[in-house]
Amino acid sequence: MTTPIAIELLDVSKSFGKFRAVDGLTLRVPRGAMFGLLGPNGAGKTTTLRMIMNITAPDTGEIRILGHPMDRDMQNRIGYLPEERGLYRKMRVIDHLYFLAAIKEVSRDLARQRIEGWLEKMDLKPWLNKKVDELSKGMQQKIQFIATIVHDPDILILDEPFSGLDPINVALMRDYFLDFRARGKTIIFCTHVLEQAEKLCDEICLMARSRKILEGSMKELKRRYAQDLLRLSIDASLADVTALPGVASAKAFDGTFIVSLSPGTDRREFLRRTLDRHRVEAFSQKEPELEEIYLDAVRSSGLEETRTIA
Amino acid sequence: MNWKKTFAIVRREYVERVRTKAFWFSTLIIPIFFLGYVGIQISASRKTGGERHIVVVDPSGALVQPLAQELSAVEAEQNEKHSETKGPHWIVTRYEGGADLETAKESLRKQVLAKTINGYLILDPTKLARDSQDVEYYSTTVSDFIVLNQLERALNRIRMRQKMEKQGLSPELANELEKRITFNTFKVTESGTAEEKGAGIMAAVIFMILMYTTLIIYGSQVMRGVIEEKSNRIVEIVIASVRPTELMLGKMIGIGLVGLTQYLVWSFVAMNLSLPGIATLVAAGDMGMPRIPASMLVYFIVFFILGYFVYAGIYMAIAAPFNTDQEAQQLSMIPIVLILAGMMIYPAVMNNPSSSTSVLFSLIPFTASMVMFLRTAVSEPPAWQIALSMAILLATTIGMAWFAGRVYRVGILMYGKKPTIPEILRWVRYSPGKAAQPARPEA
Repeated sequence: MTTPIAIELLDVSKSFGKFRAVDGLTLRVPRGAMFGLLGPNGAGKTTTLRMIMNITAPDTGEIRILGHPMDRDMQNRIGYLPEERGLYRKMRVIDHLYFLAAIKEVSRDLARQRIEGWLEKMDLKPWLNKKVDELSKGMQQKIQFIATIVHDPDILILDEPFSGLDPINVALMRDYFLDFRARGKTIIFCTHVLEQAEKLCDEICLMARSRKILEGSMKELKRRYAQDLLRLSIDASLADVTALPGVASAKAFDGTFIVSLSPGTDRREFLRRTLDRHRVEAFSQKEPELEEIYLDAVRSSGLEETRTIA
Repeated sequence: MNWKKTFAIVRREYVERVRTKAFWFSTLIIPIFFLGYVGIQISASRKTGGERHIVVVDPSGALVQPLAQELSAVEAEQNEKHSETKGPHWIVTRYEGGADLETAKESLRKQVLAKTINGYLILDPTKLARDSQDVEYYSTTVSDFIVLNQLERALNRIRMRQKMEKQGLSPELANELEKRITFNTFKVTESGTAEEKGAGIMAAVIFMILMYTTLIIYGSQVMRGVIEEKSNRIVEIVIASVRPTELMLGKMIGIGLVGLTQYLVWSFVAMNLSLPGIATLVAAGDMGMPRIPASMLVYFIVFFILGYFVYAGIYMAIAAPFNTDQEAQQLSMIPIVLILAGMMIYPAVMNNPSSSTSVLFSLIPFTASMVMFLRTAVSEPPAWQIALSMAILLATTIGMAWFAGRVYRVGILMYGKKPTIPEILRWVRYSPGKAAQPARPEA
């Protein structure tokens, strides 16, 4: 309870043969944060999470969990949901959860109490004694989630937690995450779907090609990038708008134009010039979407090839 | 090593397996087969009891009376010896029809089919005159071993006695000559001499076959367990809580205990249900009662455990890199061939348990468990050889666990591409600090 940092990575690198999966990554996840590790497939997110979990050891660098190096006690305080997740198909639901609780050293009584609570919450109580392979895929995913949190961890590490979930379950999961954070727990998850991260994260780290290209709190990042982005309702064509002085790029969107100004352009000056030429109906500052921030960051980092994100 | 977590793994592996119908099926099917076999034997031997009415076609009339006497003597002797199984009660009558053999055969055939008699015996006077030893017996069943044996022996005795009398030898001498010696074998051991009947050696062979099958069965269960965890994608969840070594060890111990449980059930069934059956069987035949010395059981359990860990390690290392049974199939031939080698060497070991070949194979870790067990069962190998064999097995177990652990750690996180053997061997060389090194994930 002393350190405000839940997870800290210092200059961590990891190679598989000649391939450098993670390159000099430094990361700080504050306690109680909802932290998103974002980036395209193959950016090194899963490897990073596996190194935090001590499933894979880094080649160089240091990883500290709650101020300590990873050890058995720490492992029991973390809940980990890997991307490749499954269950023993032939086991009964309750036995399976008992087992996963036991390897986190949770006593059977305590496990039972928690498991029943969660199954109740998720309307899965009647399935307690059923075999796992009698459950639908969505139910299995809920069971996996219960397994991740059955030891009431301080830190949750989730690899693509929403993949394969239907919208109802995505919403449900999101509520659980927010609940978790409200109880002062730290959540770090990785995803390549930026919309989800945008809705949930307090802090993000963008990775591309094994490297960190951007990090910070969501609010601050948005503020930083918002200054260059305007929304215009204007009586002109896209070509006209693009031709305006100070415009870096523009695109038509829902009857309006989203204009990105070239760096150093004064917004008031730009508006005055535009009013001289066209009839402007509305003018507002556009809050940037995470995707735009991401693309911009990739562009300025010189790692253009990795632009394609899901 | 966290034993609490390892125990959780052991418990899961054990409970989930012992709970399956497949386990109980395979556990009970073998005693059931065995009991069935014993039952058939018993019922067959019971059938030999009861009346046997045979008609003798004996134109000379010289043989009917002695045969009837001889058979009733045998019957009396048997009833005295074994109270449980009754031999057949013979009723011997002479064929009273005409002298024509063909009419006799035809009418007796009808009687046999009508079940008024059990069979008939033809003592052809022309053949007997030529001093031929041919006797013909006709019956609906001619595979009734005990019955036929009695009949044949009786006839042989009579013939011998008659010949001797012809030569002027006394009937007493004839009786004396008929007696056979009883050949008793004794096994010389450090602790003294113990009577050894063939059954003891047979028990050793049966135990060895048992070890051979269970090593393969439980070894491949280890393999399938590892592959199942990978194809289920559960392994990464487990590995986030326990070390690969703990998972590996827990799995081996859990599955090994399932094997021991099966042995326990088998011996329980054997002791409670089949022993009376065996006793009956033994009483009926010439076989001695199989006495299984406690030392044999102890050696069996010890060598099974040691052998099991060696093979479980091999199977584990084989399974770890692969995602499906098919992929691992090719390599899974390795342990089977090694176990088979131990099995094939066994006649040579039985013949000469102290030969240099036997000693050699009892020290090679892959055959040691079976060969050394057999040697202890049929001979008294020097204590240092037993100790050395155990030490080699133990060292191999540790070495195998180390090797398997290395491959396992890396392999369990490998999805997708099937790795080559040089790649797998490379994993073993990774230093512990660089724990798991899965190949580059598909970008």
